[in-house]
Amino acid sequence: MLPRLVVLLAAFLSRRLGSDAHGTELPSPPSVWFEAEFFHHILHWTPIPNQSESTCYEVALLRYGVEPWNSISNCSQALSYDLTAVTLDLYRSNGYRARVRAVDGSRHSNWTVTNTRFSVDEVTLTVGSVKLEIHNGFILGKIQPPRPKMAPENDTYESIFSHFREYEIAIRKVPGNFTFTHKKVKHENFSLLTSGEVGEFCVQVKPSVTSRTNKGMWSKEECVSLTRQYFTVTNVIIFFAFVLLLSGALAYCLALQLYVRRRKKLPRVLLFKKPNAFIFISQRPSPEIQDTIHPLDEEAFLKVSPELRNSDLHGSTDSGFGSTKPSLQTEEPQFLLPDPHPQADRTLRNGEPPELGDSCSSGSSNSTDSGICLQEPSLSPSTGPTWEQQVGSDSKGQDDSGIGLVQNSEGQAGDTQGGSALGHDSPPEPEVPAEQDPTAVVFRGYLRQTRCAEEKATKTGCLEEELPLTGGLGPKFRGCLDDKAGLHPPALAKGYLKQDPLEMTLASSGAPTEQWNQPTEEWSLLALSSCSDLGTSDWSFAHDLAPLGCVVAPGGLLGSFNSDLVTLPLISSLHSSE
Amino acid sequence: MKLHCVSLWLLGTILMLCSVDNHGLRRCLISTDMHHIEESFQEIKRAIQAKDTFPNVTILSTLETLQIIKPLDVCCVTKNLLAFYVDRVFKDHQEPNPKILRKISSIANSFLYMQKTLRQCQEQRQCHCRQEATNVTRVIHDNYDQLEVRSAAIKSLGELDIFLAWIAKNHEVTSSA
Repeated sequence: MLPRLVVLLAAFLSRRLGSDAHGTELPSPPSVWFEAEFFHHILHWTPIPNQSESTCYEVALLRYGVEPWNSISNCSQALSYDLTAVTLDLYRSNGYRARVRAVDGSRHSNWTVTNTRFSVDEVTLTVGSVKLEIHNGFILGKIQPPRPKMAPENDTYESIFSHFREYEIAIRKVPGNFTFTHKKVKHENFSLLTSGEVGEFCVQVKPSVTSRTNKGMWSKEECVSLTRQYFTVTNVIIFFAFVLLLSGALAYCLALQLYVRRRKKLPRVLLFKKPNAFIFISQRPSPEIQDTIHPLDEEAFLKVSPELRNSDLHGSTDSGFGSTKPSLQTEEPQFLLPDPHPQADRTLRNGEPPELGDSCSSGSSNSTDSGICLQEPSLSPSTGPTWEQQVGSDSKGQDDSGIGLVQNSEGQAGDTQGGSALGHDSPPEPEVPAEQDPTAVVFRGYLRQTRCAEEKATKTGCLEEELPLTGGLGPKFRGCLDDKAGLHPPALAKGYLKQDPLEMTLASSGAPTEQWNQPTEEWSLLALSSCSDLGTSDWSFAHDLAPLGCVVAPGGLLGSFNSDLVTLPLISSLHSSE
Repeated sequence: MKLHCVSLWLLGTILMLCSVDNHGLRRCLISTDMHHIEESFQEIKRAIQAKDTFPNVTILSTLETLQIIKPLDVCCVTKNLLAFYVDRVFKDHQEPNPKILRKISSIANSFLYMQKTLRQCQEQRQCHCRQEATNVTRVIHDNYDQLEVRSAAIKSLGELDIFLAWIAKNHEVTSSA
């Protein structure tokens, strides 16, 4: 009984002494815990109640399973302490235990130990930084793991958490606070498709390790502005391709237009050479002319002219030609020659009827002819030009004899071909009415445009080419003359060429309009030229037309044209006679 | 030509044997979901470790026990430690809290599954326990015996994260994320 009482007393006294030694017992911190990030280990504790200004805290650390406790801080006023430096091997060890107690003067509180063993599992994962770039409509992000300064060189985030690293990305568009989308990526580099949206985008990242239970912390928000880019490589390429395509199309259209509107060339058959000085009366024969054109003798021409007037050059098929006095005669004589016959039929001007009735009745075939009578020239071949209808002899029934020849002014009637549409079946030599003034011959009626083809097969020049009443008549007729000295009807036999000085109408339907147009233009121009140029100068075709035009000025171009037709055979006959 | 073929054959055999030693056990536990066990432990870690009043004593990590185990001993040590936990720790611990008890029970069942998977794999391959592996196992049992049973059980449960981390490290599949 007595020993038991002694023991109890001793225990009571020892406890009392202990408490007295420590003073009033300080309360220990209620809780102590770690808040750690990657190599940033902070120990936190709650303060003791009713702490004084002199109250501080003592921190001790223990490596799990290894004694003793190591005192880290003897007196800390703050409520937290950085233990990173003494816990560097946290990620390779089993963890640490820490404890804290309050100290006030000589008094100490009890230790408060962390509830859990501080290990790598308690480290909150964080992200160092996030960098955003814009590239071709994509937001390229690069996550930088934390790089704490206190971490050893070999202990990097990637080395410690080597596998199963994962990041959760939250994208937010600035106007709204709602999260646009969440995305999980397994690499530090990621890309976000904005789908053409523009504006400001903010991105947050939260790391995690799928094989661990570590918690993650959202990073700071990184924002980037996305503007609509017009000058991207793709857009530029598309633009240039479009421009090239458009220019190609325009070039094609332009080329097509130029090709369509190119100066067309006349067909070869329509082309005719320029008359190289088709000179009948020229004193200087052109070397190009193959025709043996001899200059006409003025006297002979004068003699012939009246004969030609009265000559009958009509055929049975003539429908109405006559008048040995063609109306080609104009007031102005074609040739500046004295008028041996003042009684020259100057009345055979505009509208005068032919006055070759005598000659006509004598030898004219009035059956079909409508009025064209041609008198055979009574001139001797030696005296003057003779009218020979050689062509007509072989082409009877073929050509119309509706031709009225009018001997133009003799002399230089170099008028050449007027397309001597001299077709006649019964081609007696046309009688040149003597009474007619050789200087002025007017033809009235129609000039049939016959062909030389059948008669002269070799005369391809005559056959092929129409005998247009144009400038082409010159060379063509010239070609005809080459073979024979006689008259060769033109190759064209498609109609009648009314030789009406009053009526500027063309009965010929066969003549191509183009051919007509050409001579029309030429003759109009030529008519404007000096009509006085009737000298024996170069009797080119153009010049020949000029005087003709002058002569038949009242009659117009047609009159002049008819005169050409009239004079051509006349000239040829003159040539052959010589 | 024959010498070339023979040398290649020998090289392939050596490589195969090495891979067997290193990867023999790993292939056995690949299908185990270690992450589920770790999550379960994290939920009860605070409650269990708070009851551990002897932080300066460890059972599994004495002298970095588990850190020095060689790959050849991994199979034996894993088998022994699984048996340790199933036969001694889970049986000695008396958990009053039903929530915590549920988690501990799920962890224990996972350990039983791992033991079964490992036993099937060991029947095909030889899992000899060398002296080093036997020594490590004996140290762990000695540490457990130095403490009171209840404290030892609590402490062993509190060190489950160490054991799970060691298993994941030694039985980890080489192809990582």
